[in-house]
Amino acid sequence: MEIDRIDGRTPNQLRPLTCSRNVLNRAHGSSSWSQGDTKVLAAVYGPKAGTKKNENPEKTCIEVIWKPKTGQTGKSEREYEMILKRTLQSICILTVNPNTTTLVIIQVVNDDGAVSFKVAICCGLAESGYVILDPAKLEEQKMKAFPYLVFPNSVLSVLPEGSPKVEGELMENGIITSVTQGAMAVDNYFHCLERGRAANEKMSAFLRRSLQPQLPG
Amino acid sequence: MSDNQFVDQLVVPGDVVLDLSSMANQTIKLGGGLRQESDAISVTKAGKLRLSKPNKYWVESSQKRYVPSVEDSVLGIVVDSRSDNFIVDIKGPAVAFLPVLAFEGGTRRNIPKFEVGALLYVRVVKANPGMNPELSCTDASGKAAEFGPLKDGYMFECSTGLSRMLLRSPPCPILEAFGKKISFEVAVGLNGRVWVNAASPSTVIIVANAIMRSESLSVAQQKIMVEKLLQNLNIST
Repeated sequence: MEIDRIDGRTPNQLRPLTCSRNVLNRAHGSSSWSQGDTKVLAAVYGPKAGTKKNENPEKTCIEVIWKPKTGQTGKSEREYEMILKRTLQSICILTVNPNTTTLVIIQVVNDDGAVSFKVAICCGLAESGYVILDPAKLEEQKMKAFPYLVFPNSVLSVLPEGSPKVEGELMENGIITSVTQGAMAVDNYFHCLERGRAANEKMSAFLRRSLQPQLPG
Repeated sequence: MSDNQFVDQLVVPGDVVLDLSSMANQTIKLGGGLRQESDAISVTKAGKLRLSKPNKYWVESSQKRYVPSVEDSVLGIVVDSRSDNFIVDIKGPAVAFLPVLAFEGGTRRNIPKFEVGALLYVRVVKANPGMNPELSCTDASGKAAEFGPLKDGYMFECSTGLSRMLLRSPPCPILEAFGKKISFEVAVGLNGRVWVNAASPSTVIIVANAIMRSESLSVAQQKIMVEKLLQNLNIST
């Protein structure tokens, strides 16, 4: 089904990506990520000693704060926070620093669609790259349904048979988070998954390239 | 060995760098940033993979937060004092304890008094995951060896990569170039804190600013910057 997109992209094409790290002075880790006109700023603080009362002291507690561009924080921001927190908890190795708190703050700088999960967090903890299908705001409003999908980073592996397998499926083909809005047929959903996975490779390569200019020596 | 392509390369969390099933009888030592998952060694921090022959691997990266490890010299700030420990902040995930007797010739009768906010140059003695690190103001043989409180001067924070660069030998070009012309004291903590002291405040400011700015400069650029700063200093004094 070929659709003519407003800005002339093919259905599989992503908008130009830019990413810069260490943009904030006081934050322990920060990065700014933009895809076309959508731009998001992320800051990480921690790990700091102490956890909240109801949290498990054997693990690191991850707190997420999502700040929209305008307006007060409401239910949709809480929802994003919860989704991001769950995603991070399943990605990070939580037992490395027990009884600590890590604070992640996301500030939406400009929203042109597909703003959720447009985060690249660089700090000392274990993180992987994120990817989503990439609709612009106008396209989002017209769409019947859209899923947000988070895939694991594509890994460079030394193992002769490729990436580690989990239950017979390659771990790379797994999926970390999927949030859907609207109604779609099951076939369409699988179609989205495949397209997303293909885009994931490009995103991972971009992530590696953007980490490249480290300190000399 | 199968990991040759990754040594000194940028690695990203999730990369598998060593396959243990192919090296049966070897002992491998893993440093920071690496984790063993059954038969494979995978990366947990983004950075450069380093190998020190014959068998030590670690991931080198530069952050603002510090991961405590044994035998590191760090600069800590006292936040509290208990009857048997001082509570010291070393920019890590947990505060560290400095036993009250861990000084040269320390007995119950001559416990030093540090007020909250005092800056100390200390050595990490124990750093186990999940426990608060333990510090000491003596070296391994019990002598004071420059550890202890740092008076006067100016302390600033930097990244862990910059502190490692300042401490390497041969000495880093900034410190060498400054050392030839002006006299100053500097204490570098591997946790990203640096303390500078000199006779006059302008010297302290020049050295501190130069160190902060040198992080992204190459060796030649650092030397040029130091020369310019020294010229300005000579003109004004």
